Amino acid sequence: MIDSVAGPLLEARGVTVAFGGLVALSDVSLAVPPSTIVGLMGPNGAGKTTLFGVMSGLLRPRSGTVSIGGHDVTRSSPQARAKRGLARTFQRLELFGELTVREHLVVAHRARHRRLNLAVDLLGLGARPGPGESDRVDAILNDLGLAAVASHSAAALPLGTGRLVEVARAMASEPKVLLLDEPSSGLDTRETEQLGEALRRLHGGQGVSLLLVEHNVEFVLALAQQVTVLDFGRVIAEGTPAEIRGDHAVQAAYLGVSA
Amino acid sequence: MWPYVIGGLVLAGVYSIATLGLILTYTSSRVFNFAHGAIAFFLAIFFHWLAVDHGWNPKLAGAFVVLVCAPLFGLFLWWALFRRLTEATSTIRLVSTIGLWVALPAIGRILFVGREEIFDRTGVGPTPAASWIRVAGTVIDSDEFLVLLVSVVVAVSMTIVLRYTPYGLQVRATVDSPRMAGISGINTNVVSAGSWMIGTTLAGAAGVLLAPLKGYQELNFTPLVLAMFAAAVIARFHSLVMGVVGCLLIGMTQSFIPSKWVRDDFLYRVLPDQSQDVLISKLPDSVPFILLLIFLLCYRGVDRERFAVDTRAAATDGPPPTARDLDGWRRFRTPAILILIVLLAPVPLAGRWEAIIAKGLAVGIAFLSYTIVAGEGGMVSLCQVAFAGIGGAMTAQLATNDSWTWLPQVNGLLAIFLAALIVVPFGLLVALPSLRLGELYLAMATLAFAVLTQNLFFQSASINNFDGGVKVPRPHVFGVDFKGDTPFYYLLVVLFVLAAILVMNVKRSTTGLNLAATRSSEIATATLGISVVRNRLIAFGVSSFLAAFAGGLSVTYVGIALPAREFDALIGVVWLAIAVTWGVRSVAGALLAGLSFALFPQIFAEFEWFILVLFGLIMLGIRSNVRRVVVQRIALALWALFWLGAFLVWNGNLSEVPLIADSIREIPTTLFGLGAIGLAKEPRGIVYDVAHRSRAGRAERAARRSAGPSSADEPEMVMP
Repeated sequence: MIDSVAGPLLEARGVTVAFGGLVALSDVSLAVPPSTIVGLMGPNGAGKTTLFGVMSGLLRPRSGTVSIGGHDVTRSSPQARAKRGLARTFQRLELFGELTVREHLVVAHRARHRRLNLAVDLLGLGARPGPGESDRVDAILNDLGLAAVASHSAAALPLGTGRLVEVARAMASEPKVLLLDEPSSGLDTRETEQLGEALRRLHGGQGVSLLLVEHNVEFVLALAQQVTVLDFGRVIAEGTPAEIRGDHAVQAAYLGVSA
Repeated sequence: MWPYVIGGLVLAGVYSIATLGLILTYTSSRVFNFAHGAIAFFLAIFFHWLAVDHGWNPKLAGAFVVLVCAPLFGLFLWWALFRRLTEATSTIRLVSTIGLWVALPAIGRILFVGREEIFDRTGVGPTPAASWIRVAGTVIDSDEFLVLLVSVVVAVSMTIVLRYTPYGLQVRATVDSPRMAGISGINTNVVSAGSWMIGTTLAGAAGVLLAPLKGYQELNFTPLVLAMFAAAVIARFHSLVMGVVGCLLIGMTQSFIPSKWVRDDFLYRVLPDQSQDVLISKLPDSVPFILLLIFLLCYRGVDRERFAVDTRAAATDGPPPTARDLDGWRRFRTPAILILIVLLAPVPLAGRWEAIIAKGLAVGIAFLSYTIVAGEGGMVSLCQVAFAGIGGAMTAQLATNDSWTWLPQVNGLLAIFLAALIVVPFGLLVALPSLRLGELYLAMATLAFAVLTQNLFFQSASINNFDGGVKVPRPHVFGVDFKGDTPFYYLLVVLFVLAAILVMNVKRSTTGLNLAATRSSEIATATLGISVVRNRLIAFGVSSFLAAFAGGLSVTYVGIALPAREFDALIGVVWLAIAVTWGVRSVAGALLAGLSFALFPQIFAEFEWFILVLFGLIMLGIRSNVRRVVVQRIALALWALFWLGAFLVWNGNLSEVPLIADSIREIPTTLFGLGAIGLAKEPRGIVYDVAHRSRAGRAERAARRSAGPSSADEPEMVMP
């Protein structure tokens, strides 16, 4: 199923990012092993989204490396990383305002499964769904409870639904490792539960690794098998959810209590 | 030596006055003002109108125009247009000011020029210019001295204002982050309005100073426009210093071209014999864009922060204007009706009108190329006209084998197809370096390509043939002879339909989906593993093929390929304005754009009453759209008055009314320009607007029927 590497599927090693004089990440290392849910926590401004940017190729680190399945991808484009099995969602929604919800998934699915063929496109054969495309897309839509809005334009969706569309689109690209940037913010309790279950199914059924950034601490601790905590661009704690619950440094970062 | 240096400095001076204004307005509002040169021209002829037609003292007129009218005009433009653009999508931001670029000179000529072109060179200083001082044995006349003086004053005062005044600090803060500046208590509206006022003042100053040196025709302002754009690119749209450096480079190079060292010792040896004189005469206009392309290649890696997210670019035009929302047969209704009209047109309209419609069909295929590149790809291309021109020129060479004897001679129709294929790699080459740098750079690169093609390729002897062009024979295919006008007309209809089907196929294909995704979010598309650049290149390639194909058809119909006249770079700017006015998202829009491009000038020239009908319709449109009762009444009264006046004029001969007679040829251009400006309000063009309204009207009527007649007047009334 996954490349026969014993090491982690996605790994950032010694990543440092600075915007002008501001150091957003300083010597951060993080590994996502195969078939594992990793939680990434930290207060606002801790550098979580910046780390996602570095891992998905939207930001270049000043130093450090990123590798996917053992291949160094520090200098590769976002497209190349996606081809190696990486997908992500965005904290600030990046939906395709002119497409329907279903088309979001179709675009993602075809990005993985269809080679662009200009002749096919020009002759009008390009609109036909590929083998298994419709089934796969419908399954994801049902899984996340999006079937009812499948033909709606994404521009008019409420925030919570939009977030689910982000997750659904990432799933449809059939990644090996999925980076989720605050997927539950803006969701109500029922939607959050539904999302949690869908992520568990994705992880359990297809062995997809997840890296989860969350503000909702309970959501992460319930879902993740390993947790890393960032504060001011540094890793301040690593461990199982139980260990993190008892960690003084984490409590200090979140509650402002001196450790 | 010295005369060339002084000449170069004077040119650079005018250029940098205008360029500084252009860069200031761009940095403070992120709206690139394509109309900056048009504003300069507009204010210059306004100055001439005051000073010559109305006998004002030139110095007073100059001060009044530049220091009073120009800032007010800038304020007005900001209020009416630029203000709305800061929040618009980047394509709309580009295209609206291109509309102003098209409309403003035409409006200016209607208002200030009158029956005859201006041939005198009245300026602020004495006319003719008095010799002023001597530097190193070279006379600097009064006009030139004024340019040098003003440019130094402007450069110095801009530096002082931006560095050391509170306003300068606010501008710099707004440039870095409009939102943060707003939060920290800076009224960004005031800053932006102020910048537009200064920018327009500088444009006016450049215009009033340039006209006495070069003349008052719009043609004379083209070098200023081109130099300014190139300098802005060299400055990467933000560095004032680099802007001035760019202007100096361009001015000096242009000034030295006719010198012994450049022309006699270099150009005459390098250029081919037959066309060297023409090419050298066109070289000054090409210099800015040759420099622009060089700098573009240098900058390729500089702005490597590819995904620096401009939040405003993410704003979408709202829900998609696709046929999806239309049910069943309705989606085919508009195109079908149009095609039917076009099919039947030759029956009553043989002869000249048929020929004009045929031209419209051919150009319509070129407008289909905008549907792909702008509508689907979300890119602003200003060189579709150059593709069409190259397509036409290559078609002529392939079909006749006249001057390029090394080419094989082929059947006319095959020649058109092959010529279009030849153009595709050029299209890809133009787009490639600038695709990553952003839409503004792409617009500049395409404009550069169009101007260089116009100046260097279309003017060469084998293509232009001393303004005689190359004859193109009509094809004879599959036993059908297309020599007659009507058979060829139907061939054009068939080819337009085929091209339209091609475009619709691309829209519905995976590439179309990917492009639609890219328009909304580049970063999301890229992180899905889709190559943004590759999809855009496909769109650009297909569009360049279509444009070139249209060019080939057009010259074959006319019988002569003379791209220097038919496919001028500035015609391309008008093309874009027309295309976006009708709407670049639909095939019907492309057809209407093509037909109106060909028909409107002719209709306006032959039937003056058409103007009245059109304005009547526009008035009617305003009337039915305005909600407020008072305004509606006023509009109604105006409308009635208008038709009364129209009737009175109708009884006499309209063309005897001097204003109207002089302005007729300017009106189509004005309309198209205004249409493109109107995109700031309605970004999807006329076709979508009309379709959307009739759909909304249908829905409303249906709702009324089901709710019963009593609630028709007050839909919000609660039923008991």
